[in-house]
Amino acid sequence: MANNGKITLEIFRYHPETDSEPRYQSYEVPYNEDWVVLDAINWIKDHIDGTVTHRWSCRMGVCGSCGMMVNGEPKLTCAAFLKDYHPRAVKVEPLVNFPVERDLVVAMDGFMDKLDAVKPYIIRDDVNDTSEGEYRQSPAELARYKQFSMCINCMLCYAACPVVGHEEEFLGPAALALGHRYNKDSRDEGQSERMEVMLSDEAMWGCTFVGECSVVCPKHVDPAGAIQQAKAMGAQEYFKGFVMPRGAGE
Amino acid sequence: MSGQYHRPHRWAWWTERPGYMRFMVRELTSVFMAGYLVVFVMTLASVGGGEAAFAEWIAALGTPAWMAAHVVALIAAVWHAVTFFGAVPQAMPVFLGERRLPGPVAQIVMGYGPWLTVSAVIVWWVVR
Repeated sequence: MANNGKITLEIFRYHPETDSEPRYQSYEVPYNEDWVVLDAINWIKDHIDGTVTHRWSCRMGVCGSCGMMVNGEPKLTCAAFLKDYHPRAVKVEPLVNFPVERDLVVAMDGFMDKLDAVKPYIIRDDVNDTSEGEYRQSPAELARYKQFSMCINCMLCYAACPVVGHEEEFLGPAALALGHRYNKDSRDEGQSERMEVMLSDEAMWGCTFVGECSVVCPKHVDPAGAIQQAKAMGAQEYFKGFVMPRGAGE
Repeated sequence: MSGQYHRPHRWAWWTERPGYMRFMVRELTSVFMAGYLVVFVMTLASVGGGEAAFAEWIAALGTPAWMAAHVVALIAAVWHAVTFFGAVPQAMPVFLGERRLPGPVAQIVMGYGPWLTVSAVIVWWVVR
């Protein structure tokens, strides 16, 4: 079925140079059941109002750029089909728990700093020359962290996390899950460095395990699970400190 | 950058999603658990007061109001326990080589199984 009437998109608008408060603007777009919300926003920008500002890139759930609130739910707009909302109107807002730069675009600086803080890369005590070949890893070792490596940094989990909404400094689901991903990587030797950050007050102990980060994650990363596993790991290190004070964290 | 818009604080955040509500209900069950611990401590205290004090305290716990409180506390405790075991596969995944045990199996292996074993040992120790 091709076009079947219209659908209304109610879009959050905020232009810092002219607006002191946000407002909502309604647009009617052609309804096509093959369209996703992102298609409709692009149609608005191309045909009705070029000033509507939003982020997007790949259109296939890989880049993580087009995350927005769709009828109050954090969604990748490239994966939110209009047919799931039609004939009702669709309300599109920028992700909650982030400052709004303009219209549907949120400021990512804080999130990027948090990601950076957990050192989401392999840390080695001794770095082999590439001529010595790759660091080998078995499928069983890969299975320990593979799920957590699927994160696309779309930030939907931050929009779903009430702790992020209350504690601006809270490291948050994606950053903690990525930290845990590298801690569980058999090729990595940076756990003690990473744990310094992950064990701080605003990190994993701030998580109250509401669990909605895992519900909204489009890549089934399960950041809530990663954080609880990291807590168990942190507690083990703590008790190891009593038993083997010198060996702890190594 | 100046000019960013910061949304107001959402004090009623827990009403926004069913998952938030479930979280709050689970947190609330802890209050009943803590309350029942107080009852337990008072029961121990009554034991210290002698046989008559203990009998009097036990009789008081059997009144309709107390019975209603016991039922509410039991429901809260069961809900707390079931959701706790439900979270076990997420917090303590079990791997067999490359394979991760499915959630229900992990709940038994890491949750209900050890709990039932420990409970059975305690029951045996008490009634032997």
